[in-house]
Amino acid sequence: MTETSTIHDTTACALTLVNGNGTSLLLVMLRSTLNSLRNRVRVYLLAVLLAVGAAPAKADEGWQLLAGYLFRDAHEAFVANPSTDDRRYALGTAASLINHPPVTPGKITRAETLLRELLATEANDETAHYARYLLARIAHLHRTGPVAEVEAAYRAVIEADAAYPVAQIAAGKLALVLLYQRPELTNTERLDGAALLAPVAGRETLPEAACAYYRALAGAALFYDVLDERVYAWLLRADALGTADVLVASGLRIQLAEIARELGHRDEALAHYRRFLGEILPTDNRYRTATERMQELEAAP
Amino acid sequence: MKRLPFFTWLAIALLVGTFVYSAVRLLQSRTRTIVAPGTEVIRFAHWQLEPGVREALDAIAQDYMALHPNVKVEQMPIPGRAWVQWLRTQLVGGTAPDLIELASYNNPDDMLARYFTPITSYLEEINPYNADEPDLRDLPWRRTYAAELVPAPDGFGHYYNANLLEFYGVPSTLVTVRVFYNRDLIRAATGEDRPPQTFEEFVALCEALQQYALKTGEPLMPLGGSVFNITKITDTLFNTVTQKLALELDYSRDLEFSRHETMLSYARSRWSLRTPAVRKSLETIEAFARYLPPGWVQLGREDGMLQFLQGRAAMLATGTWDAGGILMQADFPVGAFQVPPFPRDHPQFGEWTLGPVSEAATFAAMPFGLTRNSKHPARAIDFMRFLTSRKSNAKFAEISKWLPVIKGVPVPEGTEAFKPLADGYVTGVNIRVLGGRANDILMQNFHLLSGSGASADNYISRTSTLYDRAVLEEINRIIRVTHETVRQRDSVLAGLYHVEPPAPRSKFDRLAASQLDSEIQRLQALRVLEDYPLK
Repeated sequence: MTETSTIHDTTACALTLVNGNGTSLLLVMLRSTLNSLRNRVRVYLLAVLLAVGAAPAKADEGWQLLAGYLFRDAHEAFVANPSTDDRRYALGTAASLINHPPVTPGKITRAETLLRELLATEANDETAHYARYLLARIAHLHRTGPVAEVEAAYRAVIEADAAYPVAQIAAGKLALVLLYQRPELTNTERLDGAALLAPVAGRETLPEAACAYYRALAGAALFYDVLDERVYAWLLRADALGTADVLVASGLRIQLAEIARELGHRDEALAHYRRFLGEILPTDNRYRTATERMQELEAAP
Repeated sequence: MKRLPFFTWLAIALLVGTFVYSAVRLLQSRTRTIVAPGTEVIRFAHWQLEPGVREALDAIAQDYMALHPNVKVEQMPIPGRAWVQWLRTQLVGGTAPDLIELASYNNPDDMLARYFTPITSYLEEINPYNADEPDLRDLPWRRTYAAELVPAPDGFGHYYNANLLEFYGVPSTLVTVRVFYNRDLIRAATGEDRPPQTFEEFVALCEALQQYALKTGEPLMPLGGSVFNITKITDTLFNTVTQKLALELDYSRDLEFSRHETMLSYARSRWSLRTPAVRKSLETIEAFARYLPPGWVQLGREDGMLQFLQGRAAMLATGTWDAGGILMQADFPVGAFQVPPFPRDHPQFGEWTLGPVSEAATFAAMPFGLTRNSKHPARAIDFMRFLTSRKSNAKFAEISKWLPVIKGVPVPEGTEAFKPLADGYVTGVNIRVLGGRANDILMQNFHLLSGSGASADNYISRTSTLYDRAVLEEINRIIRVTHETVRQRDSVLAGLYHVEPPAPRSKFDRLAASQLDSEIQRLQALRVLEDYPLK
């Protein structure tokens, strides 16, 4: 009796600390159960009950660890503390498996299997969307599948629900596939195909991602030596969306100035130069060079 | 009984003496860790063994302890050669000190995430140790820095991690590269104590020193040093002679010919060693190489320093981190100047030159990070605030002779020449950045560019295929590294998505954008290898 009480007290206390929501209900259950059941088997059942109650907190720990690049720890947290939500648990386990060191094809396959099983439950919720996105990423990056398969996987994410944040991210990735991984396309086809994704990839739901998408379009055009009004428009759109990355923001401003100058938009170019110089970071090496280029433009007829 | 000979007694006495000495030292070191109850002990570790730095940090620690009698601050200088092993052992063993010097090449993302505390939020608070400074007292700690701790590109500023999107370090100094010179020798050789203003004057100074050595019979060399020191000169020359070419090749139109663009445009045959500006940059070596010390390729950094301090070399190009050591150990007056670049109107090297390269992007260095196992994190943060207050930073600069980083802290007398040149131009094309092996190629074939048989054409024909291979290796390395980074972020993003809602400008949003940028680098590199196969 003494031993049982001790176990009970300790675990009940732990439960109170770990799980804020629903604690009182669980405690009531615990106490009533313990009053009527006094053998070790019953106490074991209680421990299971406690584990279930504490699991959400522990599972959240898995996500926290993933966010902090601690993949092995995250995987251990997910495996040791299966969530009450099997699908979320499967998603977390798969997300940690794809970078669980050492990364092996076996682990990638296991992650894929987990995700496919998750999707087989027919739910079309947030977890399913993310699972679909991770499957596309696995095909694209983690086991490098055929480009057609990768494209189809990203399109599946977008088609499932284009309003979801991961659909926006998937559209950005699909744009990269079109821009760089379809050698049979002409430069114009690459840029056109990628630009068609703007309604999803360029949404303001995630303005940083949208800004990166428009910069990606302009960057690809410049990489392929295409410099036209569309490039300028994409960069203007990226600038309007803005970014918290001060280095990217600064680069964008000088790109606008240089491209406007090359396209013959003299006044706009001068305005962009002035803005770049006015907002320049103290660690930027380009001040004097940009100043001279602006002055050359000012002096030009 | 036979008496023991004197030398045996001496040996025994020495042995016993050594034992007693060691025992006393050991006891002292043990007793040092015993502190009064209630005392907070803050330990900070670094590898800056250059003369002056430990003394400066020690003086600041003493000031802090005087202000906080219940705190004991201990400095742990660890030799650079043992640093990596020491660091890992301490972190894994849970015995790491409270504060540790950070460098991105020593502290990968997972190490930072696991063992260090992000300090981004602390940097947005006011530094109370600037309360007496009207211009600083209301500023967030981050903005008390002269350059306001702008996040640096990957691998440059070691205080910020672009993958974790967090600040992890609090830096104390800046370092630049300068040519240190023996003022007595320069005066003796030229009759005046004036650093050269142009590259011609620099070469003329080298020549005057060589003539002086011949005339006096002194074993004197104009330039001292090793591969490390000499590349400080070649970098300046390469980077200025090719500036206009860099602007022409800059396909992203951001006035920055990045390393990525350098590699890919080389692979796409947009430029080569035969490109006139690049060829010209190779010819700069001939102009000064005859003044290098014999056998410099085999010498180490320490040898160069010794040559200079012993008065056998009149000049030495090195980082200002060596300044304290030079100023304290040299028994002659020392001056410093920036390697003078070529002017635009230089008849031989001016055609693609803009002017001196800007040093604005000199990021604050020697950052200390807060370890997660610190028993007194609040105290450790407080000590870092004290360390980087205006008064302490001034003291640090004064004693170490390293450059200050806090707004309004004067550059110590005699080190004005170390200040970064902010009013310069963008950098040019440097063949030394063409992959990890590019530096070796230059050093192994340097002789083709110097001496009486110097020939850029000969160098180019002998090394072009080597550079092709180096570039191919480097592009493949970039592909591998970015693949790893991008792949890891898939898991991190999944974690972030479930930790906090993916709101606008959230970490999820910012990291997703950054992942797209990294992925572009990888895909562009793959595209180039497919479209322009290098052999």
